[in-house]
Amino acid sequence: MSAVLQLTSVTKSFGAVRALKGVSFELRAGEVHALLGENGAGKSTLIKIITGAHQPDGGTLEIGGQQVAQLTPQAAHRLGIACIYQQPALFPDLTVSENIGLRLESVSVLRRVNWSARRERAAQLLQRLGADISPDAEAGSLSMPEQQLVEIACALGAGARIVIMDEPTASLTQKEQHRLFTVVRELRASGVGVIYISHRLEEIFALADRVTVLRDGESVGTRNIGAGQSAVARCMANERPESPHPGPLPGGEGERQPATRPAVRVPFAEPLTTILPLPSGEGRGEGVRDSRPAGPPNPSTPPITESELIRLMVGREVSSIYPAAEGEPGEVVLALSDLGCTAGGVRHITLDVRAGEIVGLAGLVGAGRTELARVLFGLTPADSGEIHLNGHSVSIRSPQEAVAHGIAYVPEDRRRHGVILEMPIAHNLTMAIHPRLFPGTWLRFGAERSHALESMRDLAVKAAGPDAPGGSLSGGNQQKVALARWLATKPRVLILDEPTQGVDVGAKSEIHKIIRRLAQQGMAVLLISSDLPEVLGMSDRIAVMRGAEIVAMMPRGTEAHAVMAAALGQGRGES
Amino acid sequence: MSFRFQKTAVLRHETVLLLVLVLEVVFFQLAGRNFGTVDNVANIVRHSVEIGLLALVMMPVILTGGIDLSVGSLLGLCAVLFGKLWRDAGLPWELAALATLGLGALAGGFNAALITGLRLPPLIVTLGTYSLFRGLAEAITHGTDAFTRFPERFLFLGTGRIAGVPTQAWIFVAVGVAVWLLVHRTTFGRSWRAIGFSPEGARYAGLPVTRRLVLAYMLAGLMAALAAITYTARFGTAKADAGTGYELAAITAVVLGGTSIFGGVGSVHGTLLGVAAIAVLTNGLSRVPATMSNAAELSGLLTGALLIVALAGGALPGRIGARRRKEHPPAVGAPVSDPA
Repeated sequence: MSAVLQLTSVTKSFGAVRALKGVSFELRAGEVHALLGENGAGKSTLIKIITGAHQPDGGTLEIGGQQVAQLTPQAAHRLGIACIYQQPALFPDLTVSENIGLRLESVSVLRRVNWSARRERAAQLLQRLGADISPDAEAGSLSMPEQQLVEIACALGAGARIVIMDEPTASLTQKEQHRLFTVVRELRASGVGVIYISHRLEEIFALADRVTVLRDGESVGTRNIGAGQSAVARCMANERPESPHPGPLPGGEGERQPATRPAVRVPFAEPLTTILPLPSGEGRGEGVRDSRPAGPPNPSTPPITESELIRLMVGREVSSIYPAAEGEPGEVVLALSDLGCTAGGVRHITLDVRAGEIVGLAGLVGAGRTELARVLFGLTPADSGEIHLNGHSVSIRSPQEAVAHGIAYVPEDRRRHGVILEMPIAHNLTMAIHPRLFPGTWLRFGAERSHALESMRDLAVKAAGPDAPGGSLSGGNQQKVALARWLATKPRVLILDEPTQGVDVGAKSEIHKIIRRLAQQGMAVLLISSDLPEVLGMSDRIAVMRGAEIVAMMPRGTEAHAVMAAALGQGRGES
Repeated sequence: MSFRFQKTAVLRHETVLLLVLVLEVVFFQLAGRNFGTVDNVANIVRHSVEIGLLALVMMPVILTGGIDLSVGSLLGLCAVLFGKLWRDAGLPWELAALATLGLGALAGGFNAALITGLRLPPLIVTLGTYSLFRGLAEAITHGTDAFTRFPERFLFLGTGRIAGVPTQAWIFVAVGVAVWLLVHRTTFGRSWRAIGFSPEGARYAGLPVTRRLVLAYMLAGLMAALAAITYTARFGTAKADAGTGYELAAITAVVLGGTSIFGGVGSVHGTLLGVAAIAVLTNGLSRVPATMSNAAELSGLLTGALLIVALAGGALPGRIGARRRKEHPPAVGAPVSDPA
């Protein structure tokens, strides 16, 4: 089994911080190798070394069996290394074919652009991926997953042998995930080595052949992954059209019709192995051509289980994942009746949330959950229906009014909305309580500092100090800061939008405990999450949204498939 | 992605600028004639008050990530309006001045309304009002009318001294202190900075983004009117072409002072240093025999060079870089020739 990439005892320090303390890592041709670790464990640094963005301080790097010194991003590209980021880096105002052309065509002042050839090639690459994307579409008009596919098309076109995918599914719907998985499997089948970074364990079990866990800049182990380790994995792996699809999808919603029926159409007309040629050309492809998929993992090491994997990552056993509810919820705090907002994209929302209760908002991406939160927070004010807070009818026309009414919203996109990355943590933490902390508008730095230190202590924010910029924090700690900012307003209603997305396992369970604690203190919590186990585990009741409406209310203890079925619109009219 | 906190970088930038200012002073003291005299220092101050006032309020606008190109034209319009109110409407000059200040603030509010209400980019809006305000001023005076023969008490604002210091210097100091406190010691400044870093982030934080932006642009209008009054008092005439090009001079001083044109980063004291560095340079060149005859051209040239050197040598490229990287993560291994 040949290694297309071999890192041996790689070290890297930034100032006094030792980001990597002698990490060894091997990627074989035709394998999907998951890279796992809490935020700050060294994954990003390792990737940056592989892509040539950082130079290692020590250790060796072999690509395709040859030792490489002084790897630059350009050299990495030439050597067939491609990286697909969570946020695709396409030029939004150029067309898809122009974007692909820019990546793949040689640059020369005198060279004329052969537009038809460029377009042809783009169309071909996209077709290979089974992507229904017009080469003439502007990249900015594509959805995130479509942009990812364009990135993958670039990697394909460049004949990449090593493809790195950094949390590629973070913003994808389930159907899009399945399509991506199919592409990844086909890449593997064609001999490409894929490094796959994700926080979602079920994905790793569904997709990866091996997993390497990083912790505190060290590799704590590389393990084989056996198929069928978890129920979730089995469920997710079961996506091939073994059972023929029963007729056209209902509703005529086409692409938007999400899919988690047992069968999902595989977007390939033929197996990719035949349409994805192995990299050809001299000097490339040795070790690729002759190695078909990595085959079964080495039988000498037993496959790892989910709990072992979590233990490896955090270095401790994460016992009960979801904190249990205690006691009965109190009075109805937030009552919505027939609430709607045409511009905001929600309609006919009727929902109660009681004090001390966590109501989960489940549904697919685009079902209207974030839109509902935006209406409640006054970002897109409601134009019909009523909002009652503690029995009083209120109107919420702006975030300031929402705050005044005791509504807090911790947004989904914490890097853009939740935290101002350039500003110190202390400033971020006090931003929603200016009137209270700074009466008369004069800043009180002492009060601000002590408030910040207290908040950081309460939520165990790991940071250099209150003056460190928000952007210096890891994802989980940024989320805690975003949360702490709103807890400071002492809200009656707390809306949490994807509070643990992109957060490592350890911080995730801490955030869960915090949320439960807040509910116990009497807050009415509305929890939006695409992480189904999280919604099921945390919520006292679950409201399922689909197509801008709430389509079902379910009690605690509802089975995952029932929630999913409601989110997908199955069983409509039944029961 | 790594972020370094920029406080130290800002301090460094301002220290560099202070050093430049000191070097300028030392050089012109040695090479120039009568540079360090009391009269000349007063002269420098008198000449830089209008641009200084505009720079002081341009700074918060740029801090929010915006820009106001209309302040120079508004200065001209306000000068003409002041003359009109005093001479043709027969108001006492004090009342005319107060009314002019109100009208200036209103004009700034007009900018703000277009920017926040219609969500148009500040550059476009104020480019429009840049022409609009100047055009109005010229329409009012038919391009030729000029207002003169203002009362002595009024001219004292522009030519007199209080305790040996030019009258308008006192106004400038008062405004400077007020703006410094506003930017660095109140929640207004904090909000402007947050808006500059991330307008959406500020909105999601529940900050009153619209109100804060309106305040910044209204302040700019108000100060353009105040500058129009000291300008008229200094020259003794109010004409439609008053303050032509001042908006760019003010922006130059703000940017030289270390305020990031992308918003969020900057300080009022940096802006003041920027104003001083340019004012001393311009005046000093006219005091050195070798450069006396073409001081204006040379000062323009040197200001440009200073701007580029100060920003290239200072910390600003790093800041701009950090923001750019944030918005457009670089594609690793992006455009390179296809090996196939």
